[in-house]
Amino acid sequence: MRFITMDVTKCVVCRNCEYACSFQQTGDFRREDSNIRVEYYDDVKICLPLTCMHCDDSWCLEICPASAITRNVKTGAIEINSERCAGCKMCILACPFGNIHFDKINMVSRKCNLCEGEPNCVSFCISGALQYTESKNSYQNNRQIFQRFIENL
Amino acid sequence: MQVVIIGNSAAGLSGLEAFRKKDQSSSVTIVTREGEVPYSKVLLPYYLLGKIPYANLFTRDKNYYARLNAKCITGNVVKLLPEQQAVLLESGTLLPYDKLLIATGSSPVKPPIPGLSGKGIYHLWTLADVENLAPYYNKGKRVVVLGSGFVSLQGAWAALSRGLDVSVIELMDRIMPRVLDDHAAALLATRMIKSGVDLRINTFTREIERTGDEKLVLHFKNGKSLTSDFIIVGTGVRPNIEFTAGTGLKIDAGIVVNKQMETTLPGVYAAGDVAQVPSASGGDPVVHALWPTAIETGSIAGTAMASGNSRYRGSLNMNVTQMFDITVASMGEFMDIEGSESWTDENLPEDQYLKIVLKDGVPIGAICAGGSELISTLGMLRPLIREKVQLQGNPGMLKALLASNIAQHQQTFIKQ
Repeated sequence: MRFITMDVTKCVVCRNCEYACSFQQTGDFRREDSNIRVEYYDDVKICLPLTCMHCDDSWCLEICPASAITRNVKTGAIEINSERCAGCKMCILACPFGNIHFDKINMVSRKCNLCEGEPNCVSFCISGALQYTESKNSYQNNRQIFQRFIENL
Repeated sequence: MQVVIIGNSAAGLSGLEAFRKKDQSSSVTIVTREGEVPYSKVLLPYYLLGKIPYANLFTRDKNYYARLNAKCITGNVVKLLPEQQAVLLESGTLLPYDKLLIATGSSPVKPPIPGLSGKGIYHLWTLADVENLAPYYNKGKRVVVLGSGFVSLQGAWAALSRGLDVSVIELMDRIMPRVLDDHAAALLATRMIKSGVDLRINTFTREIERTGDEKLVLHFKNGKSLTSDFIIVGTGVRPNIEFTAGTGLKIDAGIVVNKQMETTLPGVYAAGDVAQVPSASGGDPVVHALWPTAIETGSIAGTAMASGNSRYRGSLNMNVTQMFDITVASMGEFMDIEGSESWTDENLPEDQYLKIVLKDGVPIGAICAGGSELISTLGMLRPLIREKVQLQGNPGMLKALLASNIAQHQQTFIKQ
């Protein structure tokens, strides 16, 4: 499977990924509609892009009371079916990484679906911080990157 | 091996699925007194709201049991017979078991108010309740909701959104006494009143009177009264354990279980709302009657029944909902207790709220009210609360702090 890796040392907070994701989802450029979020901490000059890691044991998937969350067998992405989602927000509370967001217009939860295997955020990343790479475990990959992040904190 | 599971909601199904991961060959029978196609209780208010269609209340398909090589039968278990290792159904059928999972859930309790029964008076707990309520959810109708707990307020919110006149009656001096602290409750109450809910706290209902034109009149102790088309009673639930009477099964606030969901009877397990389970805090065991706890404990029981190898790390209280245009959530020990300190996010606007309760630097609970983003923060805190990891640094940089914790405590975050 291929997953998105997020390199904090390369990110320059251009927010292209946020706009690219928003455009992919809604056809418009609203950062609050993006499934990838870049946190910027000015005092320590840290840029932290965060998007779903499609965990092996996905607590969001197990807990969803509407059976709206499933794994796409083709891409490996954990996906939310917005037709089934009731908007109860339990998945947002379940995600230990803060990677599930709420669509205030349609009142459903929303998260990264890897754009069916061609993530738009990666395509428009200008610095190489985001990569779509082959990996057995997306979390392990990103953990190493986070490790570098704290060393810089 | 013959396995019997009583109940086909969150805990029962989670138990079945976990069991089948370890054991594909044993015979499994699920007994339900509701429909054989499982539905989700959490979704019921969303159906009344009109957010989801009726069909989406059902969260498994017709072939579900066949796929899991299990049999589902409709029946009401009236007696547990531990000596015979069997359960007796109302129909007279005897179902023998080697392993039994009690996942019978809980039922609403009704306060002893004269006249509080009959047509127009319902709970909001089962599919049958919602089928009774649905015809009343029409513009212009008037509903009184007794109690201001989680489900009650969701029912009130659905009614208000559908154009009904809504009154909420609470005996105590504030809403959601068990789910929110004073400040979050006040923020929610303000939004409810602004949205048009007639909220009455400190109000004791003396009796219900029926009028000739099918209306219900509630008489209160303070001398006031209120006329309504229907009443939703949401004043708490209790575990469904009647069929275990006389068996010697140890019961406290629910069926007492150990970390593997084993009860005090051999081969008998319990999970979900019916069970009193270990607490995540390590304190006294709890009956949380919450969806996530039912999923977790069901899964632990299923695994334990198949292999004997699973350990529950304890139930962590968690609640979340959005209603009346505000999101509220709470987790763990969110009330200030002796020896605890709390950190409140001072950067939030006045109508938003985030508080983290810590003991010796370890987060033990959190609560929020406002936007959805605040729930993400609670979600990131959850592994730290569960694993009792110190939150070091300046909470003003909470997100960065939590992100650094993701890296430092890999195990904590991977193993849910």
